[in-house]
Amino acid sequence: MEITDAICSFCGSLCDDLTVKVEDNKIIDVKRACRLGASKMLGHERINSPMIRNEAGILEEASFDSAIDKASQILLHAKRPLLYGWASTSCEAQSKGVLLGEILGAVVDSTASVCHGPTTLGVQEKGLPTASLGQIKNRADLIIFWGCNPIHAHPRHMSRYSGYLPGFFLDRGRQNRKFVTVDVRMTETAAISDEFLQIEQGSDYVVLSALRALVNGKDDLVPDVVCGVSKEDLVRLSGMMRSCRFGAFFFGMGLTQSKGRYKNIDCALSLTNDLNTQTKFVITPLRGHYNVTGFGQVCSWQTGFPAVDLSRGAPYYNPGEMSANDLLMRDEVDASLIVASDPAAHFPSTSVRNLAKMPLIQIDPYANATTEIADVVIPTAIVGVETEGTAYRMDGLSLRLRKLVDSDYPSDEEILDKIIKKVSRKGDVC
Amino acid sequence: MQTVTLTPIIQSKISIEAETITPDNFAGKTREEIENITIWEGNHKTRLFEFFKIALEGKDSPENTKIIINGSIPRVKRVGEGMTDGMILINGDVDMHVGAKMQGGVITVKGNADSWAGREMKGGEIIIGGDAGYYLGAGYRGESCGMRGGKIIVFGDVKDYAGEHICGGEILIKGSAGLMPGISNNGGIITIEGNTEMPGAEMKKGTIKINGVVETLVPSYKQEDDEEIDGIVYNKYTGDVVAGGKGSLYIKK
Amino acid sequence: MSELLIKNGRVFDPINSINGDIMDIAIKNGKIVDDIPLSPDTKVIDASSMIVMPGGVDAHSHIAGSKVNSGRIMCPNDGRSGIEKRTKITRPCSGYTVPNTFAMGYRYAKLGYTTVFEAAIPILHARHTHEEFGDIPIIDKGGLVLFGSNWQVMEAVRENDIEKLAAYVAWGLSASRGYGVKIVNPGGGEAWGFGKNVSGLHDTVPNFDVTPAEIITGLAKANEMLHLPHSIHLHCNLLGKPGNYKTTIETMKLLEHIKPSMDRQVVHITHLTFNAWGGTNWGDFESKADAVADYLNQHDHVTVDMGQLIFGNATTMTADGPMQYANARLLATKWTNGDVELEDASGVVPLSYIRKMYIHDIMWAVGLEVALLTKNPWQVLLTTDHPNGGPFVNYPEVIALLMSARKREEEMSKLSNKMRDRTTLSGIGRELDWYDIAIKTRASHAKILGLTDHGKGHLGAYADADVTIYHINPDQVDAGREHATVKKAFEKPAYTIKDGKVVAMNGEITATPEGRTFWVNASVPEEDNTRLMKDLRLKFRKYYSINLANYMVQDSYVKHPVVIKAGGS
Repeated sequence: MEITDAICSFCGSLCDDLTVKVEDNKIIDVKRACRLGASKMLGHERINSPMIRNEAGILEEASFDSAIDKASQILLHAKRPLLYGWASTSCEAQSKGVLLGEILGAVVDSTASVCHGPTTLGVQEKGLPTASLGQIKNRADLIIFWGCNPIHAHPRHMSRYSGYLPGFFLDRGRQNRKFVTVDVRMTETAAISDEFLQIEQGSDYVVLSALRALVNGKDDLVPDVVCGVSKEDLVRLSGMMRSCRFGAFFFGMGLTQSKGRYKNIDCALSLTNDLNTQTKFVITPLRGHYNVTGFGQVCSWQTGFPAVDLSRGAPYYNPGEMSANDLLMRDEVDASLIVASDPAAHFPSTSVRNLAKMPLIQIDPYANATTEIADVVIPTAIVGVETEGTAYRMDGLSLRLRKLVDSDYPSDEEILDKIIKKVSRKGDVC
Repeated sequence: MQTVTLTPIIQSKISIEAETITPDNFAGKTREEIENITIWEGNHKTRLFEFFKIALEGKDSPENTKIIINGSIPRVKRVGEGMTDGMILINGDVDMHVGAKMQGGVITVKGNADSWAGREMKGGEIIIGGDAGYYLGAGYRGESCGMRGGKIIVFGDVKDYAGEHICGGEILIKGSAGLMPGISNNGGIITIEGNTEMPGAEMKKGTIKINGVVETLVPSYKQEDDEEIDGIVYNKYTGDVVAGGKGSLYIKK
Repeated sequence: MSELLIKNGRVFDPINSINGDIMDIAIKNGKIVDDIPLSPDTKVIDASSMIVMPGGVDAHSHIAGSKVNSGRIMCPNDGRSGIEKRTKITRPCSGYTVPNTFAMGYRYAKLGYTTVFEAAIPILHARHTHEEFGDIPIIDKGGLVLFGSNWQVMEAVRENDIEKLAAYVAWGLSASRGYGVKIVNPGGGEAWGFGKNVSGLHDTVPNFDVTPAEIITGLAKANEMLHLPHSIHLHCNLLGKPGNYKTTIETMKLLEHIKPSMDRQVVHITHLTFNAWGGTNWGDFESKADAVADYLNQHDHVTVDMGQLIFGNATTMTADGPMQYANARLLATKWTNGDVELEDASGVVPLSYIRKMYIHDIMWAVGLEVALLTKNPWQVLLTTDHPNGGPFVNYPEVIALLMSARKREEEMSKLSNKMRDRTTLSGIGRELDWYDIAIKTRASHAKILGLTDHGKGHLGAYADADVTIYHINPDQVDAGREHATVKKAFEKPAYTIKDGKVVAMNGEITATPEGRTFWVNASVPEEDNTRLMKDLRLKFRKYYSINLANYMVQDSYVKHPVVIKAGGS
């Protein structure tokens, strides 16, 4: 059986043109996916069964019911529970996560807080002048990749949205477009760009400010060298930006996680805004996990904020104070539920140590570093492969992921729903 | 005069939210009433006596009420939030948001204060004997105005974004400041005796004076003639031009 | 079997010409019935000395979808201004200008509204709108779909192939599970794709060789060809620019000769607060609401809504991308932009309307002037273009202003003198009555949307049992003098009843049923569809960034759908 127009649930590009060959309920071939997407869809080792850590400290197989029961008991007794992850599951599951957070009085936070969280903080300062990816494909004759390397992390991004394909107004595709990469080191993306501007580590804000000064006609204020970049190079780049017909600025964690963090984004957003006095310019974060954007959307429409502390029954939002890593660094969390992510592999060691100290429940199709420190492990179906669900592309486009094969595993949503039923009081809204 | 002394009896790991600790709220109350004031430990609603031993002398109005916290409370947030008058003395450290939205009165922190001390403060005075965290006298996420009035003095160092979005009032930092003090400010005065980096980015209005070393200056300030203030000669800059700003930045020569 | 009897209320039901008669309203199984025999199971509400009206209907509000959520994400400062805790039956709430979805439903219900239409859905982002609809409790919903800068629309207009255009409109409504045709700054959204705008009705849209005037008339013809329940719904060109009243009137004139396919207007022109402006710049800015009202008084093919300005915070959000950028630069505030490939643009800009800033004062007057100078109350809807003019929770303020010249005078005393000089408001003595208010807040909304036959906006037999009961006795309250009492009564209805169930009482939510979603399924001749699909397949293959197979809103996203059939006769 061949399934066409399947959507890849690997990265934030959500390529929706895959053809998947299924035989005996197994995916045996994936056409058009990149190596990252194909590898996910062809499958790798799974968690077989629910597990509970026994008194000897060993994870022991258990039934779904007993694992859910144990998870519910842990969460019910927590004063500062953290529900974290959400980037690689469906909006439907995320929505259950917010509801569970309300019932428990928990913090609900996503992996965005350690990747593009600063982007959101920047957007809260300046707004986000952006466009759908198709708009960029059809119009952009200048593409800037700043602190990102899509060839590596989003392998089909350039061929689908940001460069190679012809668009309505650019019938020769790549030949009509100029690529500029700004980064602290030579990357695959930089290597195929028309211009590569190498900047010093941590100088993004200053370089962006210099570009803003140039775009605003304050050339005389900009010194001859700005953090190692010559004024001449900056003048040439600002000239390209001002004279293009449609510019698109993509950025990644090289900008969000370097010195200045969200103020870098703030400055890039302001630069984009300024450029629109002279031409058309848009800016888009290159989001990593396939539905990290979706969590921000769901949590915002349900609570008003892209991450939320519900400990006092009402939404509260203040990254730096209530984000997962902030709480873990201070050792405030007394129980955690980790859904579809791997903080044990990605958080600073102090946070991981504190996470490990306290009861931890993992809901995930795959075993990872977090499994090693989990007390309850509940395996689930893979969204976009074994179960349907909604996900948001990096540009905020909502798509319906398909189910490609059957699975005996329950979905994240079903497991969360069962936990919700266990922890709710009778008659409460749930 | 009313004096309420709070002695911490347990140090909670989970931050206590205690915006209820203000002279406004304590004034005129009996000891029992104060003991039963609500505070939050995570998702658990609790009362003051669970965490503090409370002693009370006298009964008076907010302006004549003094709260003494006898010890460090590094995990008690929002102390003095919105207070309009009276005094709070903390004999030790305090957690985030001390004196947030404060309108009047005086808060003295003998030790360190964590982030957002004096957030969106409108009036009154906060004196911090030790260091302060991030966002001293700053605003709330997405808000265009941080501190609007009053005065904050920090004797130690502060972390990044001190006085972010400050629109009025005064911040004096005796030590050094982290990244971008006064970013996106629109008024107010910030004085830093020590060193800092990228001060005043996107300043629209206001004054920032630095007596120490500035590691990096954003390249969008216009240099003016030197100025002498209180016998010290300063390089004077105006900007930030990218924000159409008319703020003044003084850096000791 | 659920039965409910509302006894002895003063009923205002303009669609059935009931003007304050003392009547009983009987409800059975969620519908209004002629009467029910009293049984022990019948719940009775004593509404004596109270006003009874059909549940409120809002034909133009921005309640769900990508731009509303962009407003939330960029403004946590707004989010924290409306915080309410979770209760036994309600989810937590946040926000004032951009409430979370739960607050959206609760607050409308608490205000006596039971049906609300989202006024701008890009087809590409319609799935998102329906996801949010699904999380807006209680109220029934529907949405208007953006067609005014769409490539397929402009190409069909250029080819003068109205049949193909109609086929696309039908397809677009089906793809988005949408209800009607929205046009925003026609052609301007496309021009904004390269940072430009169109300068008027007869300016050519770059690269597409059509004019806004042609787009508007083309879509109006297609709309009538399809017998859609609602007319085209238009946000005019040059909105937000001084002197735009001329374009507004010219746009109305453009459509004088189009015959409506049913008993309703040919065009609904929205939020007049922003496009009945005179002057040539911000310096000589003035109201021209009187000129627009003059035109409305002589023509019945147009309806409008106020888009009333409310002093304080607002979040402006519209598909009018270029206007929003101009706004953001002028006010030096945050700016979110969201161009939608092949379809439209959008912008979100938070701002504050401030008393004594004469431009804002004049805008405040414009909405009221339009409503008061237009004689036929059915022609002007009460809206705030939520949250562009201000949040919908302020409707009671607008009601009080319309009912009381004294209140207007009190308000004007707080505003600039320029407002008095440059508007006609201080000379207007008209005070609307309860019947007028019932028209402007429900009856006319339902009629204009074409929903009266589908049970909305009235209390006749078989109508949906959506009823609002207000704590106010029209015999005892002189609305002109006691405007504060009026405002209070409309802020907290005694009861809001949805499908026969009491969902709110005295400002508290009592039940949270899920609402329905209205959408229109219009059939077109097969040959038109074939021509259309050839175009669309090419567009998806070459220009869209997703495949056709993943574009349409799947039915699983549409909660409790009510499908209204339309199409050529």
